[in-house]
Amino acid sequence: MDRVKEFVELIHSLAPKDRKVKIMNVCGSHEHTIAYSGLRSLMPETVELVPGPGCPVCVCSESDVINAINLSKRPDVILCTYGDMLRVPTRIGSIRSNGGNYRMVSAPHEVLKIARENPDKKVVFFSIGFETTTAPTAALLEMGVPKNLFILTSHKLTPEIMEVLVKDSEVGVDAFVAPGHVSAIVGSNAWRIFPENYGIPTVVAGFEPENLLLAFVRILYQIKEGKAELENVYKGVVKPEGNRRAQELMYKYFEKADVNWRGIGNIPKSGLEFRPEYAQLNAKAVFNLPEIKEEKIPGCICDRVVLGKAYPTDCKLYGTACTPRNPKGPCMVSLEGACNIWFRSGVKTA
Amino acid sequence: MKRVEIGHGSGGKLTKELIEEVFLKHFDFPELHTLQDATYLPGLSKIAVTTDSYVVRPLFFPGGDIGKLSISGTVNDLTVSGALPRYITVGFIVEEGLPLETLERVVSSMAETARSAGVKIVAGDTKVVEKGKCDGIYINTAGVGEVVRELSPKLVKPGDKVIVTGFIGDHGIAISLAREEFEVETPVESDCAPLNSLLTPLFELPGLRFMRDPTRGGLATVLVELSESSNLGVRIYELQIPVRKSVRFICDMLGYDPLYLANEGKAVVVVSQEDAERALEILKSYPLGKDAAVIGEVVEEPGVVLVTSVGGERRLELLEEDPLPRIC
Repeated sequence: MDRVKEFVELIHSLAPKDRKVKIMNVCGSHEHTIAYSGLRSLMPETVELVPGPGCPVCVCSESDVINAINLSKRPDVILCTYGDMLRVPTRIGSIRSNGGNYRMVSAPHEVLKIARENPDKKVVFFSIGFETTTAPTAALLEMGVPKNLFILTSHKLTPEIMEVLVKDSEVGVDAFVAPGHVSAIVGSNAWRIFPENYGIPTVVAGFEPENLLLAFVRILYQIKEGKAELENVYKGVVKPEGNRRAQELMYKYFEKADVNWRGIGNIPKSGLEFRPEYAQLNAKAVFNLPEIKEEKIPGCICDRVVLGKAYPTDCKLYGTACTPRNPKGPCMVSLEGACNIWFRSGVKTA
Repeated sequence: MKRVEIGHGSGGKLTKELIEEVFLKHFDFPELHTLQDATYLPGLSKIAVTTDSYVVRPLFFPGGDIGKLSISGTVNDLTVSGALPRYITVGFIVEEGLPLETLERVVSSMAETARSAGVKIVAGDTKVVEKGKCDGIYINTAGVGEVVRELSPKLVKPGDKVIVTGFIGDHGIAISLAREEFEVETPVESDCAPLNSLLTPLFELPGLRFMRDPTRGGLATVLVELSESSNLGVRIYELQIPVRKSVRFICDMLGYDPLYLANEGKAVVVVSQEDAERALEILKSYPLGKDAAVIGEVVEEPGVVLVTSVGGERRLELLEEDPLPRIC
């Protein structure tokens, strides 16, 4: 508690008095800690904590979800995916509301059992997420998978979307808190471009409130000193080079590709798709899935929330037409979505 | 067409809507409209009455079973209303094909709990429905108690202290562990227990204002409802709220908030500042209350604010729906 008090005092003394500082986190778990520990209430007026693209479920393209729904409705297919994905809305409803053949899994290896127990079905694993879920999917493939198992990928890369944000003047990010889990895979060096190329202080942090407060202290110190450096306050878990084996496996099966982000559009080299030599595992190739043009959800500003251009409470659907029970946009569905976290943690209005 | 949803049974916002839009609309009896755990019946002075139904799944769980739960729950509703529980009636809805032995295990557990709580089961009824029309056993109870202290949210004043009588969230986690196959090192048992022996000694404190057992919806829901019905606020401190390490760990893993998890052997007690220390002393002298703690205080400004472990503030609101349906 004493350290916490000390950090909060430092934050107040280091924060600029005459201008705003926008510190963006790009991880649902960071936003969860910030909201549930009430860290915003501890910040001086000039420090804004902005949730950024930290929710892989939220940015999964509508096309990928519609393809998954259509697969789940085929009698010869069992579609497996993470719980949150079952409820993501599209123009034709969600995987769950369509009532096809779907199973919820909480880790990739669970699909192996489902595939083995259903040899007469084609089991499709709708594998989504940032680097943290891509690596386990690659590890699953490395173990060798049954012939009736296919992967529908919607994998995104964190540094690439952050680079898009930095170049967007409307966002106006002053500093990044880099995500602890993703950093464990990609290594803290992956964020070096932000201080070095764009002059943005970047600090890798863990998920305890105290650790996040320390990250804010370091960021504000750098800003006060006019510096932009890469720092890591989550050293026990994150190494500069990351997890080499996980990276090797990821790039053995997948390669960088131009992919669509929901509400945001196509971003060059911002996702991972199967390498051509693994087409037999790739559900998009095996089932010849089309790329479907996205339809915007009327009134929903999830795209602006994901990019840190708006807060959840700026949306006129928030908490009225759109709630966790009846989500209109993807950010209200996922436990990692900013709208869902804000609503559940008791934020009712701006 | 509106339909009944699982969330309508959660004890949260949807339950509130159901009560207001269906039950209170038609049941226009002023006694009922106080919406407390038990109702004081005017013409028959000093009598409190309550009724409750139990649909918990599974029927048997670490620390209890549907029988123990049904008696404890009824006893606790009367006790937190300032009454001494005296008589209970029980109605069973049993599914065809249920092993008689299972029914008997439940019934003997009810008898044992009633004996330990000093209440008598004085009327009963049994209905059997076809296989598949209910899930083993459902139990409905009514309880009658003798009112010793009339308690109400309206008695609560700014400056009063808020006490919980022990670790929160045990029942919710025990049920969720009984349903799923998680591998956890320290199993969590339900806290399911009749609380009359623990709480009735508090009746003599002049500063006792209000009590409630935080079942469905947990501690947070009780406090939000207290704030709404008293037009005052509550400030509680995360670091002072007793939560077992194992419960916190499982909550982190499963994404539950212990503040919203059900308890079946805990009470929230609001007592004047002057009597707070004495109340804590009384509670701690009983095994069921040994982990009791003051967790916060009543304040002027309406709403419930949690002061987090790092000193941040977060508002607590009613949950839309319970993460764990059929918990009691």
